[in-house]
Amino acid sequence: MNTQIILEKYIENIIQIMTPAGTGTGFIIGDIIVTNSHVVGGLNEVVISAKKIKRRIAKVIYDDPYYDIAFIKTELKKPSIPLVLASKNVDDGDSIIAIGHPYGLNYTATEGIVSRASRLQDDLEYIQIDAAINPGNSGGPLLNENAEVVGVNTFIIQNANNLGFALPYFYLQDALHAFKEKNQVAVIKCPSCKNLIQEEEIKNDYCPECGVKLEVAKLRRKGYNPTGSTKLIEEILSSLDINVTLARRSQASWRIDEGSARIDINYYENGIIIGDTKLCAIPSENIDKIYDYLLKENEKLSYLQFSINENSIYLSYLIVDSSLTFNEGKVAFERLIKYSNKYDDILIKEYGAIAQKRDEED
Amino acid sequence: MNWLDFFQTAKSTCDVNFGRGINASINPEEEELFYKSYEAFEKKDILDAYEYFFKSLITFTQENSNQNIIIKRTPKELEFTIYQGCSKITGLITQKTLFAQTIITKTSLATVALKRYILERNYQLTYANYFSDDEYIKLKLYQDNITLTPQKIFFPLRELALNSDFDKEHIRSEFSDIILQDTNHIVLLESKELEVKFKYLKLWIEELEAKVLTLPTNDNSGMQSFLYLNILFKIDYLISPKFKIYQQLSKKISEYFGTENSTVEAKNEELKKYLLTLKNLTLEDFSDNFYNAKYTFDPTETSSYEDIVIFITESQNKIKWYKNSRYLQIIPTIYNYIAFNSLYNYGMKPVLKDLFHTLVKIQNSSYFEELGCSSLYDKENETFSKRQIVSQIKTIIENSAHKYKNLVVFTDDLDFSSMNDFSNSYYTMLQNLDFEEL
Repeated sequence: MNTQIILEKYIENIIQIMTPAGTGTGFIIGDIIVTNSHVVGGLNEVVISAKKIKRRIAKVIYDDPYYDIAFIKTELKKPSIPLVLASKNVDDGDSIIAIGHPYGLNYTATEGIVSRASRLQDDLEYIQIDAAINPGNSGGPLLNENAEVVGVNTFIIQNANNLGFALPYFYLQDALHAFKEKNQVAVIKCPSCKNLIQEEEIKNDYCPECGVKLEVAKLRRKGYNPTGSTKLIEEILSSLDINVTLARRSQASWRIDEGSARIDINYYENGIIIGDTKLCAIPSENIDKIYDYLLKENEKLSYLQFSINENSIYLSYLIVDSSLTFNEGKVAFERLIKYSNKYDDILIKEYGAIAQKRDEED
Repeated sequence: MNWLDFFQTAKSTCDVNFGRGINASINPEEEELFYKSYEAFEKKDILDAYEYFFKSLITFTQENSNQNIIIKRTPKELEFTIYQGCSKITGLITQKTLFAQTIITKTSLATVALKRYILERNYQLTYANYFSDDEYIKLKLYQDNITLTPQKIFFPLRELALNSDFDKEHIRSEFSDIILQDTNHIVLLESKELEVKFKYLKLWIEELEAKVLTLPTNDNSGMQSFLYLNILFKIDYLISPKFKIYQQLSKKISEYFGTENSTVEAKNEELKKYLLTLKNLTLEDFSDNFYNAKYTFDPTETSSYEDIVIFITESQNKIKWYKNSRYLQIIPTIYNYIAFNSLYNYGMKPVLKDLFHTLVKIQNSSYFEELGCSSLYDKENETFSKRQIVSQIKTIIENSAHKYKNLVVFTDDLDFSSMNDFSNSYYTMLQNLDFEEL
């Protein structure tokens, strides 16, 4: 089957997973979302989205750092054509397809061949592939020519050309089986004794079976706790009734959709916080009038300003982290969110500006 | 003042400005005022804090204030005016906010290209932004005073001042139909000074053209680059043009160093073409590019002394290579190039800048003499005014001695046997300064 046809047929099964540390991929098997443990980063909640799933918070119900497998649970409508696990392993030279969101580029399918069906890394077997997979592909499915899941794309060798490794389907099958047998949620697989441990049975982060310190348990207990200006930005956004977990794109960036406008807030390493909305693009007629309008509005605006970059109109709020206060930040971000949508409408309807085209929302 | 200075002529200092930015001394009480401002901001005595802050930025010529910042205080407000080249910034501070603005041009005169330019500039600026009211296009700055410190207000005001000055110059050279507003404070140069500058611009280009002919016919692109770049840096520092000449000259320099997909030969050709356009300027067109003004903020970021030392060392190594390869004709140019390049590219401590300026003055004595400044080198007889040179260097060091623990110069090691030897020993002296602060 052609790669693109496979992608289109099974696209509803592919999930994008976002945490403050980055993004990864997951896929639906039955009523569970499968991904890598390193994608969920020790959190018990992550943000997911898919073709038929609007961006939402979902629970991590199983975390196994040793095999690098995690399961996520959310209300799911069964995909019209569900993915299934393969029943036999791949052979050297087989054609395969990796699907994922590399570097946040949604729904990317890359084909390749199995360079080695069983490559030992420590004491685990991996499928070595030559398909171009990149950061963001982690946790995504590796499919054979029949579109059956033969593995979970797990890691690449940095700075090497097309050296990717997928965890074979049989490890995943075992994990799914054991997890279903345990019939519990919030389960951690101990990396030492390999027992499945119910999270509430864990005391002081020690495995109740073998006594080893469970790093994942500690991370799940602590959760994500922003500090400094990041914390202040999130407090401001929360005070504006914004769900910061959903808005968070990374530890230093947030995105809010309001009407037709999309507001991005980024906190840069040089200490500058920029909240800006890429509004519509410059029209091809009456451009002078739109410039007059923007410059005139800039006179009235405080905290915010209009600018142009690469043919698009921006409404922005810029501040240095050390100058950000709750009160000023609240007023400024509230205006940015409210005015962005308002101005986008005015510029499109009254000045003929061109609405922004957007790639599929993650 | 050193006792030897009594023997100098009245022309030892002259009114001509060289280089970019502040051609004046910083306030001797700058540090103390800055600290007082910090304390006042901490106590929320906002108007006092701003008053100390502005006073710390006032520059001096000898012992007189340059009036580059003017403040007017009432019990509840502080009005201020800041001068930066062709920009004049006015502002009002209350206990809660600061608002500052500078007028660029009339709204009715603004073309679509100018409006696009300033809207794109808004995307690049951090603190300030362009807007228009019924009458003017302006650049404005608005700040809450809640969390301010002198450091936090320095950068927004600096951005407003430097960018409005730069943009006014850019607009004048790029959009010739647009008349800049609020420029009554700039002072046109005396015709005598313009004539000397015009004469030397042509003379230097002619000398360069003659020098290029002395280079070997093959494998001379490196030497040509030194010649072309040296003259551009030299024009920038000694002639200090504004508006179109400055804009184009800086563009040419940045294109030379920034273009990777071009050969050195092609880059040299570009510079050669540009110099030809400068050579063909009429006095009238040339004179249109000059004014004197007060400056408050330095446009160059302060560089580390170590970076400058590394640059000198690397350049001296190049000189050694040319010496060993018997290309002696390029060596005087490189000795000049080191100083002009440093003055163009590095933001320097005032003491180091003064020392570089003294060297430039010695290397280009005829030009300085013709501008009415004292001469420290007799080109015709190839003799140095040794005692005056040593005295000037020592005075520069003494004026800054209170800031540094071990700032001393070893003038005994200066070699006056020839201009090349002198330049070399002078750079060695500059490489061995100790700027550890008290």
